[in-house]
Amino acid sequence: MSLPPWISRRALIGLGAACAVLAVGPLLHDNLYLHNLLTLTFIGIAAALAWNWLGGYLGQVSFGHAAMFGLGGFVAARGEISLHLPMVFAWIFGGLVAGAYALLWGHPTLRLRGPYFSIATIGVGEATRLVGTYWDWLTGGSSGLSLPMHPNLKYTLYWYGLALAALALAASYALRRSSLGLSLLAIKSDVDAASDVGVGAVRLQDLVLFLSGAMMGVCGGFYASYFSYIEPGDMFGFDRSISWVLMGVIGGIGTIAGPALGAVIFVLLRQYLIASYPQLYLGLYGILLVLVILFEPLGLTGIALRLFHRVRPDLSVTGVAGED
Amino acid sequence: MERFLELVIASVLLAGLYATMAYGLGLIYGVLRIVNLNHGGMIMAGAYAGWYLHSEFGIDPYLALLPVGTVAFLVGMGMYRLLVHRLPRGAAGGVQSLLLLFGVWLVMRNIAYLLFTGNDQTVHTTYATRAITLAGAQVSVNRLAVFGVALATLGILHILLTKTYFGKALRAVAQNPESCTLQGIRVDRIYALTFGLGTALASVAGLLGATLFPFNPSFGAAELLKSFVVVVLGGLGSVAGTAIAALILAAVEVFPTAIPGFPTYLTAALGFVLLVLVLVLRPGGLFGQRVLG
Amino acid sequence: MRTSRVCLLFFVVLMAACKKSGPAPADSAPSGGTAAPAAGDSAGAIRIGATLPLTGAESRIGGFYKEGYDLAFAEAAQNGGIEVGGKKMKVELTLLDDTSTQATAASLADRLINSDKVSFLLGTYATNLVEAQSVVAEQNGIPYVNGGGAATAIYKRGYKWVFGLLAPVELLAESIMKWVDTQQQAGKLPKPATIALLWENTSHGKDFRKGVTDFATKTKNYTVVVDESFELSGKDFSALLGKVKAANADLFLADAHLPDYITMQRQYVTAGLCHKIQSYGARGSEKQAAEALGKKNVEYVLSAVWWSSQLAGKNPEAKKFVELFKSKNGGRSPEWYQALGYETARALFTAISQAGSTDREAVRAKLASLKIPSLLPGGELSFPAEFGQQVHAPFVVQQNLPDGSAPVIAPPEVALGQGIAPNPGCAK
Repeated sequence: MSLPPWISRRALIGLGAACAVLAVGPLLHDNLYLHNLLTLTFIGIAAALAWNWLGGYLGQVSFGHAAMFGLGGFVAARGEISLHLPMVFAWIFGGLVAGAYALLWGHPTLRLRGPYFSIATIGVGEATRLVGTYWDWLTGGSSGLSLPMHPNLKYTLYWYGLALAALALAASYALRRSSLGLSLLAIKSDVDAASDVGVGAVRLQDLVLFLSGAMMGVCGGFYASYFSYIEPGDMFGFDRSISWVLMGVIGGIGTIAGPALGAVIFVLLRQYLIASYPQLYLGLYGILLVLVILFEPLGLTGIALRLFHRVRPDLSVTGVAGED
Repeated sequence: MERFLELVIASVLLAGLYATMAYGLGLIYGVLRIVNLNHGGMIMAGAYAGWYLHSEFGIDPYLALLPVGTVAFLVGMGMYRLLVHRLPRGAAGGVQSLLLLFGVWLVMRNIAYLLFTGNDQTVHTTYATRAITLAGAQVSVNRLAVFGVALATLGILHILLTKTYFGKALRAVAQNPESCTLQGIRVDRIYALTFGLGTALASVAGLLGATLFPFNPSFGAAELLKSFVVVVLGGLGSVAGTAIAALILAAVEVFPTAIPGFPTYLTAALGFVLLVLVLVLRPGGLFGQRVLG
Repeated sequence: MRTSRVCLLFFVVLMAACKKSGPAPADSAPSGGTAAPAAGDSAGAIRIGATLPLTGAESRIGGFYKEGYDLAFAEAAQNGGIEVGGKKMKVELTLLDDTSTQATAASLADRLINSDKVSFLLGTYATNLVEAQSVVAEQNGIPYVNGGGAATAIYKRGYKWVFGLLAPVELLAESIMKWVDTQQQAGKLPKPATIALLWENTSHGKDFRKGVTDFATKTKNYTVVVDESFELSGKDFSALLGKVKAANADLFLADAHLPDYITMQRQYVTAGLCHKIQSYGARGSEKQAAEALGKKNVEYVLSAVWWSSQLAGKNPEAKKFVELFKSKNGGRSPEWYQALGYETARALFTAISQAGSTDREAVRAKLASLKIPSLLPGGELSFPAEFGQQVHAPFVVQQNLPDGSAPVIAPPEVALGQGIAPNPGCAK
């Protein structure tokens, strides 16, 4: 079987190996807390990568992605409770609705660039949160929704989460490395010029937005299954939207796997600090954010690559990630 | 009719509050084309400064306006020189500056949290619950004072921008920084001063907010969001537009409460819907793009 | 190929993290379990976990609950532990700060159970936090006793492991309405009377609303003319209060948490509002409110709470608690928060003791069948299965008086005062 030329064999092996080790990992230890923490990390990874498709590949930084996360979560939960959909179908259903919602507000707003778009997403996020906390029929209002509890479901979700994160990583790779990636780069650097040379900017942006929103929705559905109880104030919260911005930018905005790294560090650091120094993690992340913006636009990925470069000077760091 | 008058008064007073919150954000955007996400952080800092001066030294918040504003001005200048200055400007730098200042905000929130804990604080002034009767409606003295400050700020900003050398230079820089450099205007200095001024205005808004509402380190987030709506409605970078936009937002939030059956809970969402609609339909703001004044 | 390198790095970080979070870090109990014994001792100790909102919106009340927990654990330590199957066992509390946020409350519960390996959980405070946290206890099958979640939504989910000491908010609203009804029948209030009803948009507020509207429909002597919700930790209630003013109702009934009560009451007074009856549900008699607003501005406010130190005169358990609390706190009187915190911990201790083992299932079964004398109004504590293991004790209705006191005015068997209606302050 031959691979398309844009897939590198080493990336494929790397991803496969990482997945394999993580997949058998739980069989080697019985630390349930760590097990659950990793499951949460996987959702973080998938969501941060989905955010990056829009924020990094297209350069449209969204401060309102919790809208899709929450909507997907509640639609999935409703699907399970009222329509008795099987779990995974409920997630997909939630994802599709969330993707459609993203298109609904995103299609007109994606014409805006830079900070204008970011401000618009803040408005979308907050309006969605307010309506979500009010809309009893879908979200149960402020009382939220409780899903039926299945024994061992939480434990099994680890592998679903791993699959979801791997899927998101593969999609990130495909979006960047396939011919689509070049068009996205062209749109990011100059949307008008890209249209002039025949890149279907509007349609491509819509596609990326839909994928990003749908993946967010699936993550929301997953989160609902994981916690068995979701509440709109938490699901649609501004802090949630912010966390993906932080994961993406600090991990390495626009890179393929950087946001995943950002998510891992974000989730673990938060869990580590929260018991002893609650809320301190936000400030730490603030400092990291400032440093990244000022000194290393590619975030932790950039730093990691520099280190690798020092160890293996024969590998060139320039042209990293096809970054513009 | 009486109810209508009450609604008008409520809108106007609320508009005063919104306008004070939004001036700083609008000014910085108008000149530097930077979305100052740390606006929320400075609002919070202003609130704590007012509270600290009042509870420790018994200084009335309104007397503290000037000193707090001055210190915030210097802080803003420093922040510009230290951080913002290093960024590229223009559309490409837009998102980066937004993220940078967002990081600064997170750090400030954490500092406040470490200094004052996360507890809610209130400023207890003697006039906190005092009210006078105006056109048959009971009106909070404190809110009237905030409205007065909002009007005064509008006046001062107008004079500053149109009558002084600084103001003229500032408007010129906002229009075309390159040609100003050629004319011998020190663009970078104007930028620093503007950033300082915007920061000072944010802290003043926070101080005024503290006399009305309880606050904690996350104070400023909701205020920042409202400021966005106001600044976008008014056309990013227009001071008079900001004032009118504040009135529009206030009216949009206040008047629906008179519609029977419309849940008051959702009035807050109207502002955000308006924000998105205006951005999409009239990106230059309701009154078109204007350069300050 | 760059991706594979990042994958590798990523993987290294994950592995490093695994190493780190093996056993619980030594600093896992920073907020101070009271009865933290010397290291060697903990082998025979019962480990109990809890989170409370020590920072954030609910921090004040979180602090009160901590006083209650601390008192119960200190008392147990003084007695040399609690008796389990014929021998004394020490109890050890690991208390963490959930920062008043749901996600944190839930993930800390997971941490307490699966990393710190506690055997039992005590709940946090505020309905929305308990709602999120109790799910984790149920998933892990660990007894969870809480004195901070009152909304019926928590207990309608059919959970086996969750026990609540706070009687439902619906009952709270009904208790207030019952007293109001006696006043109406005595001719002190108009008949029918109109109600302006404001409720925070939480399960707590929804229950309150249901209690009031159900009572209104049942008796037919009340009409709700304003029925509005508001956002928790809202700041500007002026538009809402404008609507209340326009409706010109007889009764003002709101359900709010302490910070919102203070904010709203300030704007209420400023707007020149005054109603024949005014209540903020469970809030009203707090010292913080009188300090923040001025004593004059909280006069004649009604409140219904789960406990009052005034019960000491009629209830021996309450008397014992008040004396114990005062002796440890320099004569300061406890409010219901400390009492419920204390009683929550005591209920768990008693259940462990009676079960005669620290086996989770045995303790759960004991909690389900528990029936003990209690400081709660009504004098008895049990978790009836028909109410989803939520206590159904009566409420005490209090009214603030100009002298700063807030005597219990209902129910009659424990009342120390008559209560005044309509509000004499409105005459001016």
